[in-house]
Amino acid sequence: MARRLEAEPLNILLTGVGGQGNVLAARVIAMASVASGYQVAVGETFGASQRGGTVASHVRLALKDRYGPLIPRGEAHVIVGFEPLEACRALLAYGNINTYVLANWRPLPPVSVLQGEEEYPALADLERFLLEHTGGLLVLDATARAQELGSAAATNMVLTGALVASGLLPLDPQALDQVLKELFTDAVLELNRKALAAGMAVWEQSTPQQIWLGCSPNKDSATR
Amino acid sequence: MQLNMDRPGVTIFLQGNAALARGALEAGVDYATSYPGSPTVEILELLAQVARQCGFYAEWSVNEKVAVEGAAAASLAGLRALAITKADGLNVALDFLTCLGLTGVRGGLVLVVGDDPSGHSSVKEEDTRFLARVAHLPVLEPTTPQEAKEMVGVAFRLSEHLAQPVVLRTVTRICHAGGNVTLGPLPQERRRPSLGTEDRFICVPRQHLQQEQKLREAAKLAEAWNLVSYEGPAKAETLIVASGPGLLYAREAVKRLQRQDQVGLVGLKMVWPLPETVLQRYLQVARRVLVVEEIEPFIEEQIAALIGRNAGEWPLLRLYGRKDNTIAGSFGGGCGELTPDLVRAALTTILGLSAPEETGFRTEFRPPERELAFCAGCPHRASFWALQSAIALDGRRAVVLGDIGCYTLGRGRSGYRVLHTVHAMGSGLGLASGFGKLKEWNWERPTVAVLGDSTFYHAALPALINALYNRSDLLLVIFDNETTAMTGHQPHPGREVDARGEPAKPVSLEQILHGLGVPLKIQDPYDVRSSMRAIYRALKEEDVRALILRGPCALLRDRKLAQLRTYVDQMRCLGEGCGCNVFCSRVWACPANRWDGLRGKAYIDETLCTGCGACAQLCPAGAIRTEGGEAPWREG
Amino acid sequence: MPPKGPLHLQKEVLQVEQCTGCGLCAGLCPYFNVVDERVALTSTCGLSEGLCYEVCPRTPTDWELIDRTVFGAPRQDHVLGHWQGLYYARAGEAAPAIEGKQYGGTVTALVAFALTQGLAHGALLTSGLPGDFPVPVLARTMDEVLAAAGSKYSATPTLQALVGAMRDGLGSMVVVGRPCQVLAVRKLQSVKRRTPVTNLTAGTKLFLLGLFCFWALSSAFYERFLPSKLNPLEVTRLDLPPYELVVSTPKGELRLPVDELRPLIRPACEVCFDPTAEFADLTVGSTEDDPRWNTLLARSALGSELLEAATAAGWLEVRPYPADRVHLLREAVARKKRRVVTGPAGPPPYLFLQEAYHRGVVAAEEESGCS
Repeated sequence: MARRLEAEPLNILLTGVGGQGNVLAARVIAMASVASGYQVAVGETFGASQRGGTVASHVRLALKDRYGPLIPRGEAHVIVGFEPLEACRALLAYGNINTYVLANWRPLPPVSVLQGEEEYPALADLERFLLEHTGGLLVLDATARAQELGSAAATNMVLTGALVASGLLPLDPQALDQVLKELFTDAVLELNRKALAAGMAVWEQSTPQQIWLGCSPNKDSATR
Repeated sequence: MQLNMDRPGVTIFLQGNAALARGALEAGVDYATSYPGSPTVEILELLAQVARQCGFYAEWSVNEKVAVEGAAAASLAGLRALAITKADGLNVALDFLTCLGLTGVRGGLVLVVGDDPSGHSSVKEEDTRFLARVAHLPVLEPTTPQEAKEMVGVAFRLSEHLAQPVVLRTVTRICHAGGNVTLGPLPQERRRPSLGTEDRFICVPRQHLQQEQKLREAAKLAEAWNLVSYEGPAKAETLIVASGPGLLYAREAVKRLQRQDQVGLVGLKMVWPLPETVLQRYLQVARRVLVVEEIEPFIEEQIAALIGRNAGEWPLLRLYGRKDNTIAGSFGGGCGELTPDLVRAALTTILGLSAPEETGFRTEFRPPERELAFCAGCPHRASFWALQSAIALDGRRAVVLGDIGCYTLGRGRSGYRVLHTVHAMGSGLGLASGFGKLKEWNWERPTVAVLGDSTFYHAALPALINALYNRSDLLLVIFDNETTAMTGHQPHPGREVDARGEPAKPVSLEQILHGLGVPLKIQDPYDVRSSMRAIYRALKEEDVRALILRGPCALLRDRKLAQLRTYVDQMRCLGEGCGCNVFCSRVWACPANRWDGLRGKAYIDETLCTGCGACAQLCPAGAIRTEGGEAPWREG
Repeated sequence: MPPKGPLHLQKEVLQVEQCTGCGLCAGLCPYFNVVDERVALTSTCGLSEGLCYEVCPRTPTDWELIDRTVFGAPRQDHVLGHWQGLYYARAGEAAPAIEGKQYGGTVTALVAFALTQGLAHGALLTSGLPGDFPVPVLARTMDEVLAAAGSKYSATPTLQALVGAMRDGLGSMVVVGRPCQVLAVRKLQSVKRRTPVTNLTAGTKLFLLGLFCFWALSSAFYERFLPSKLNPLEVTRLDLPPYELVVSTPKGELRLPVDELRPLIRPACEVCFDPTAEFADLTVGSTEDDPRWNTLLARSALGSELLEAATAAGWLEVRPYPADRVHLLREAVARKKRRVVTGPAGPPPYLFLQEAYHRGVVAAEEESGCS
């Protein structure tokens, strides 16, 4: 695949909750991007990694220059939200009206919500908010896809698959597959490859209208 | 992908910490030590994985002081040694380090220190450069992962050239950043330790003079060794002096404001001593200089002093930075980490440009904050629940001194806000030793120190011995999850394996406590009511006594083996009519305990649940069931 | 009066040492906990009203109302409350041998009988090591009943396990408890509001087997007093015949005058109005006369039926209460009740006596004072 970028640098923000595997997804994308000849900067922003806080990975692709590891506010081109609330949080901070958002429609309430001090917004409201404030939106239940394949842990690769199929990420799926082969073996490799393919299929089976309207192409989506 | 792959010239993606580790391999490191601390944890982890194969030594040390001492020993024996800490960790080693700075070293000794601006995974944002200055050690700081890798080799050469330890200071945005890194060759030869019959390293005050001379020599080398960079017009009236990731932010800001032909950008890779000669060349033609650095205005103050010394010649030069809040920092007021936006805003200000239009969305919507919380099934949640309940039962308002580890979250919602203090590694026990003496003022509140197993080995013993010897009254509760969990499950001296995965000699907590004559009980925290009773009873005792709440980290339990499926029996859950007021999710607040608002009943998110069964003991309706067993609560 | 909740309970009962340690609040609710017979509200539920307050035996209680609920009528006897028969009783020949029994083994025999005959599916009892805090047990078998035999002298929070046992579907149970515990259960049963919890209690048949109790020992007995005398782990049996405490160990017996225990009486017991478990179906106590027998009061129809069945089957042996001893029992009870009602501070806040009840107690006191 020829190197091309819609923007220089191309800013992709992967965001979610500790333990969802977004740092690993960012590394897979970064490794494939370096192997494809891009200049890459990744910033992993996590506090105590697995303690349920917000985790975001800033991924910046350039043809030549080295950029800093943080995306300036309002300048993310693509946001991959592993969790609905985090997708919105990231959009507010790093997105703009033209940002594309891919969101895993599987809420994980913060402890303040569990403890009843705050309310988790209605999913329909979050979806409407994203629709009104983005350039394009696809919501999918990536966790359900991953569970069907054997483990919720593969949620990250389902989302990565959807991202690469969207064309928002200028990478050949082969480059990602190569990275998976470097990182994993045996059953884990198979799971991740299947998840990647499943994510790609979700995108490919969606009509442009579904993507823009935020409709999930999957019957079992949590939004229904 | 192996870190030690021998493919010079190949460009791959590496995380900053991996790049630093690779740099150590390429520099031929012989001896590497560390105590795990974010943001530098992965460096020793990665080195240890290949240590045996590459023929060098790597260890998790008991604490940073011993780590630096061990590395120093290798250096005195002529080897190349690396000690890796986080900023807070260097404090622990500082007493030794200020002495080592006087005697100097032989083989290269590099201290890789990770600062954590804004304290993303720390209790404070501390700037290591001040400590290095106290110890008279040169400080290098990289800007990108590639540079970080190269800089390890530079630091070793500088250390050997000066016979002085060198600090390689990094920040979170280097360690936890990643980028393209081109690999270099790996060394083929290994060094052998030696110590000459006349070699002496004895610390005396007059070595201070040699230290200063070494620093002057270092400053001279900065230019020759390319430790200062410059880009921009030949004569720039507007100058940015930047270090670390700040240089990247500054470059991006200049580019975005399209001022490449107007703004000069000085990149400092040696940040102490300040390479004054080179800097003077740019400063003397400048009208305004902005310093972009993390965390404190360290370079800024050096430059202020430099301007002061040249006041007659540079009357029009004005200095901007954190002091005057031109760089606001993410906390504001010049505090907190840099972001590209803050640097762009600062440059906009000093260039007198109008501020860019607000790009933010006009919306009232603010997502609820996501506070850190214990993982689903974490033994600490059960421990803190038992602790707060026991304290309430005891009724004397025990004072609980916290410490550093996952259980630091006991300060927040997830730990029921039990902790009264959190400071440094092991300090909770030292504070407890003090609170436990307040009985001489008829203070009747019991004293409880909460600390983890790894922290116990790291820093608890002197405080514990102090409390015993001075007959303090305190209850030491060790939250023993059998690992160093907060930083990603590194082994500690209680484990059977070392950093390289080889057999170690475990030092048991019990034996240490028995040896000191501390009365000890061991309790399974998941048996919540028994834990409550054990703590309640221990609170009533006097003198120094200990309770180990031992339950393995929920992230390490083999889920397939240990998990009992736990679920909410929808017939038994009384929902909103129960009177428990949504106890399981609202109060107990394990992320796996969820509330179905539509049906008005509890449920369990089985993708998160680890089957620990603690909530099943507490559900007053007995609705939370574990498969293959009755809910154990009714024995209660 | 507006409904009250846990914070009121904390203020009006727990903080003023009026808690009897019955354990019911801790069984209803995870916000109350009990360890070593100390009950506390260990975290707040955020609700302003609750069953916890309603069922506590030390929140305001209308004695006549409970009489009407349990027995269908106000009482005639203001000393012993409702009763249908007063006996000496002991385990009968058909009952299994009871090793740890104190006195006649009446309680153990009745419970074992109810379980083995299928009249009850479980029994709430107290068990544990003699030198440590007794623990609540839910016995379902004869062996478990026999293991729990023997008197306990502190405030075991047995009712902590009550609601849970009901929820686990035990359709009928024997609850052996102190008078305060019997009252707590009756208050739970008389909550008119239909809630998921009261639905449960309404669906469970309970035999309430009350115990005579003039006072219970406080936590300090096990925590400090006993360890100051000997190693509590060595204790094989505790007994409290009149006027002394007998602590048995393999090394021998330690006899301590009962006066040494006075400072250890649970403060809530000082204002107890009900030493004979007036709302129980059957009440059992010692005789202070013959250690081979128990005093037994049959109070309700349910209690009398159980008594008759056990007697007919030979599990229990009864004989009439000695006529010359009735007044002694009545005087002791009346004295205790008089102290509580006419004490210098007036009746305690929990005790709400209708005019007739108040008069009745005072009259009974005068009567016993004359004799």
